[in-house]
Amino acid sequence: MIFIAIIIGCILGAILGINAPTISYMYSSYLAIAIIAALDSVFGGIASVINKNFDLKIFISGFFGNAILAILLTLLGQKLNVDIYLAAIVVFVWRMFMNLGIIRRYYVEKWSGKLENLANRKHKENNLDNKAQKN
Amino acid sequence: MKKGKITMTITIGLACFVLIAVMFMQFKIIGLTDVTNIETMREEELRTQLANWKTQYEEVNQKYEETQETIKEYQEKKQSNDETAELLQQELDQINMILGKTDVQGQGVIITINKVESEDVPAISAIDLQLIVNSLKNAGAEAISINNERIINTTDIVDIADLYIKINAQRILAPYEIKAIGDQTYLESGLLGNGGIVDELRSVGEDIKIEKSNKVVITKYTGEIKSKYMEE
Repeated sequence: MIFIAIIIGCILGAILGINAPTISYMYSSYLAIAIIAALDSVFGGIASVINKNFDLKIFISGFFGNAILAILLTLLGQKLNVDIYLAAIVVFVWRMFMNLGIIRRYYVEKWSGKLENLANRKHKENNLDNKAQKN
Repeated sequence: MKKGKITMTITIGLACFVLIAVMFMQFKIIGLTDVTNIETMREEELRTQLANWKTQYEEVNQKYEETQETIKEYQEKKQSNDETAELLQQELDQINMILGKTDVQGQGVIITINKVESEDVPAISAIDLQLIVNSLKNAGAEAISINNERIINTTDIVDIADLYIKINAQRILAPYEIKAIGDQTYLESGLLGNGGIVDELRSVGEDIKIEKSNKVVITKYTGEIKSKYMEE
């Protein structure tokens, strides 16, 4: 269910993004860091859905808050002549991998469990058939 | 399905929508922008380029200055060469003048010896001319010529079988005109007076006139000055 929403969102976003007017190249570095922050938030959201502790307020505040904070940090870094955006990227990417790890583990466990169930069921059916034939 | 789950799904979908939209906008910007265009460069890139250009400029400037110095050096050398050349030229001119290879003029005397048609008076011999030339030299003559034959250091004045006189291998016939440049008074007094050659010749009956002039023109020696055995 949640994946259908993600795919629809992605397709619509792509259409809008391609048709949107271009922004000045000047803002591209801010936009890039905002994208990384938002990507992190989305992965975090999916991970929290899987952990069943998803909170709408936290998700939305994180989504926009992180992006805005990242932009502000980049701005501050430019004013201070320090590449703070590098630190932001490191943190966001690191968190992304953490969240991806959570998602991956959940699905691997889920599918391996399903496979085991399937195998068990087949085994039982076989046993039943054998019994029926004996009888 | 629970209501919470629907809002959650919609929220994540919307988040994805916004994210992807912004992402594609960014792709578009990056794709459209010419990164090498100076107007779209980031500050750091510009800074790096500026530093590069500055270094290059300094290098070129240094080279330029070096070249300029070399040019200056060459010019100085050229100037000194010119000076040397001028000095050499002056020296050469002076030597030519002394050697008798140039026309010269200045104050001096003109001695004219006319032929006397008389058997009592002997004809002017080469010795007489030599004596006159010697006297003139003694009186400080700087340039002498006889019938426009310049007297130089290799000049010979010889009699040829009492027929004519040969100077600079040229035949000379009377009347003789001897020109000398030097101090007029000294030259004249060297020839006249007690023991003066002109007086002596006059006493024998020769017709000799001495004329002072402020502008005596003596032509150059027209022959070639050669040396075959002499070495430096």
